[in-house]
Amino acid sequence: MSTAREQIFSSVRAALAPLPERTARPVFSKDVAEPHWLAAEADSLALFQKRAEATGTKCFTDMESCAAWLRSQGVRTVYIPAPLTRLAALCSEFSEVTSEYTRARVNEIDAAFTPAAGAIAESGSIILSDESTPDRLAALAPWHHIALVSRAEIHRTIADALAAMPDDPNLIWVTGPSKTADVEGILIQGVHGPGAQACLIL
Amino acid sequence: MAEQKVELFARRLDRGVQQAVHSNSAAGTEKRYTVLGTDYSAPDDLRRLAGQIRQHAIEHLDTYLEQAEQSLKRQGAHVHYAVTAEDACRAVSDILQKAGAKKVVKSKSMISEEIHLNDHLGSVGIESVETDLGEYIIQIDGDHPSHIVKPIIHKNRRDIAKSFEREGLGDYNDDPETITRRARVFMRDKYLQADAGITGANFVSAETGRLVLVTNEGNSRFCLAAPKIHIALVGIEKVIPSDAELAVLLNLLGRSATGQQLTVYTEFINGPARTDRPSGPQEMHVIFVDNERSQILASDCREILRCIRCGACLNVCPVYRQASGHAYRSVYPGPVGAVLSPLLAGKNFKQLADLPKASSLCGACNEVCPVDIPIPDLLLKLRNRGHEEHAPSPGTPPMGAFAKLASSPMLWRFAMKSNKVMNLVPLEKLPLPYLQPWLKTRTLPEWRGGEFRSWMKDRRKK
Amino acid sequence: MTHSPSRPNGRTVQLMATCLCDAFFDDVAKATVEVLEHAGCEVEFPENQTCCGQPAFNCGDWPASREVMRHTTRVFEGDKPVIVPSGSCAAMLFHGAPLEFEKEKDLPTVQKLANRTWELADFLVNGLGIEKWPGRFPARIAFHRACHTRGTGSGEAALKLLQSIDGLEVIPFGEAEQCCGFGGTFSVSFPHVSSSMGCLKLEHMTASNPDFIVSGDMSCLMHLGGLADRGGQPVKTLHFVQILQSALHRHG
Ligand code: SF4
Repeated sequence: MSTAREQIFSSVRAALAPLPERTARPVFSKDVAEPHWLAAEADSLALFQKRAEATGTKCFTDMESCAAWLRSQGVRTVYIPAPLTRLAALCSEFSEVTSEYTRARVNEIDAAFTPAAGAIAESGSIILSDESTPDRLAALAPWHHIALVSRAEIHRTIADALAAMPDDPNLIWVTGPSKTADVEGILIQGVHGPGAQACLIL
Repeated sequence: MAEQKVELFARRLDRGVQQAVHSNSAAGTEKRYTVLGTDYSAPDDLRRLAGQIRQHAIEHLDTYLEQAEQSLKRQGAHVHYAVTAEDACRAVSDILQKAGAKKVVKSKSMISEEIHLNDHLGSVGIESVETDLGEYIIQIDGDHPSHIVKPIIHKNRRDIAKSFEREGLGDYNDDPETITRRARVFMRDKYLQADAGITGANFVSAETGRLVLVTNEGNSRFCLAAPKIHIALVGIEKVIPSDAELAVLLNLLGRSATGQQLTVYTEFINGPARTDRPSGPQEMHVIFVDNERSQILASDCREILRCIRCGACLNVCPVYRQASGHAYRSVYPGPVGAVLSPLLAGKNFKQLADLPKASSLCGACNEVCPVDIPIPDLLLKLRNRGHEEHAPSPGTPPMGAFAKLASSPMLWRFAMKSNKVMNLVPLEKLPLPYLQPWLKTRTLPEWRGGEFRSWMKDRRKK
Repeated sequence: MTHSPSRPNGRTVQLMATCLCDAFFDDVAKATVEVLEHAGCEVEFPENQTCCGQPAFNCGDWPASREVMRHTTRVFEGDKPVIVPSGSCAAMLFHGAPLEFEKEKDLPTVQKLANRTWELADFLVNGLGIEKWPGRFPARIAFHRACHTRGTGSGEAALKLLQSIDGLEVIPFGEAEQCCGFGGTFSVSFPHVSSSMGCLKLEHMTASNPDFIVSGDMSCLMHLGGLADRGGQPVKTLHFVQILQSALHRHG
């Protein structure tokens, strides 16, 4: 008896065999799907900030204002992974700042900082990867997530980001806070992931 | 006279539900239109390009599927194949049972609906929880999704609040924000306890093996963050040549589905988490499911396999707006469903052969489809197939006599003139089964058969 | 829907009046003749014409439809432009027929007719190059782009001509892309859905009290007019060609 794989491949081949010709792979320029307003945006950093804010991601360029925002949000416990300890020094006013993230504390951490693998200006997206993120849960479970984006790693377009995807089994583009409109089409933020998404541009 | 099933459903549909479906769909159509119009000067060119990309992909499915398999294996994923829905269900439960898994969390996937995975897992004693808010509500209500992107478009907040109360998720509260927070808390435990996470995939890049998942809630990320096993169910038609094509497809998918440039989360996954990582599945299984797709590929309706499940054709469809998704008696409603569902039914085609008739053939679906599927043409081809296979079609007039009349000019001219007697009789009394449904809600203009012909003749004489 | 890029645009044309005009709307067919003649055309009317075969095509009875279409290809022989004052009948000739003949030996004959077929407004504007219509028609109208003109130049062409007429105002309305609900035999096999669609369309189109409801397809107008009439709130409907014709009359 043939395997499922063989069966499927043979029916696919049988289905395609009678086609007189097959559609060629379309050739298109990399910018084909760029929105037409993109051309007028010279500065990728400014564009990223504009697009990120438009999709609900708060942008900060210094730690002080970011920490002030978190305080105003009532944040008490903050996770800052080890490589970022110099930021932790700026977070003295929180009741707890930890560099340890464990499953047991998934619901206790109010805010987490994790380094991003880059960003996309066109869409205001933050790029997360396994390589850059100490723990998948840390960037996802807390209500506040702050991604650290380095200026040099902002891709101008979606196509640029696709062309430069790092070799990582888990890449995520985050465009705004987690949300749903399942109930009567009403927009609610913070379903399973962060209800407040931010980035700190360094 | 017997009634078309979709018509019957629509006629009996609760007015409140119909209005909710209509206004939500119309809002979706409007958003899509605005965002595409703001961002692109020629969105139709982009839709056609996306259509070619997908058509190319399905016409080279043999190549790309094999390539995707190799890419995934290279990254350490296990690749499986399932010919039928039952095979796919069994493949999932085999993996789970082998690993001793008892609890799974699921992120929304149409193919798992298609193969009725939850029922199967339940029957072998595995708890499977839908984590998308809408899908979860469907699950606890024992209901079915009525839209491919907005599964509970047919429910209001009061229905949902009652279901939550019944399930012990707090006292009755119909505030959407409260409902969402309660789901958040409830799901947290489910994620953390689950042995495996099950997802679908919107695309699979053959070149890199990347499965692309687009969501807004973040539930699929959770399904791939907490559990130790990831199982992805993927229709074989989902493959695309490479990551580069995603620039076109992703830009159209979000805008068409929800009016977003990109959904909140776009995930690219092509293997298990690396061994030194504290979180993420250590095992990844991809199950490629055929379930009639290779037969559709062999048919003259293969263009439907381009579909990227955006739901835009449902939103814009005037029949869907009147009848709602459940009228289609299948997992895929609306225009895409009217084509896809009878085809997926395989040998049982006739049971759903009425669906392609539930359309005025207005073509709005084709006009919004991000991959430019000629849906009206496919509906027509399936009507023809239904006719050839003698599928029942209540209310459809027989066309033999019409064809005779319309190919004999003498008879035709005679009929045109003699029908004038219609002006003299009360039409409502005529025993013509196909005239009466018209007259119930509409009047007919005066019969003036032959008038133009004599006018034309006179004019030529002058 | 795609259309042959190079269709003949000579000024001797064959008119396909359509079965609806033959049976009910002789005034529309007459207006078509007058308007084409004003545009400098000589209009031929092949006497043996009947119907485009669309009813059978839409019902799925393609053998019956092909029988009618074969008759139609014989009636409209030659290479003059074939002009149809209906988006859906025109689409049947240039799109539907090639589809139902895809696997037939006489596909080339059908394709030849398809390549000569024009919907009326499309012909006036894109065939003859008319940009502006003379005369006057003081009225506010709601214009429904008939669904079968999606993807063709027809809707835009009709609007262009209408908007160029002195005194005429085209008023916008909600959910404009939506179908009127006619859909041929759909209107009798799905009477509830069809009528509900029509009522919604009427509601939108009459929202700002236009003087006329206008379209390029008498089937839509027969449906909408009949619904309004049965509902006790009759509306005045006009094919756009009747407006072109009236404008000419007022041109003096
Ligand atoms: S058929 Fe086209 S519009 Fe409909 S769901 Fe599929 S991709 Fe979207």
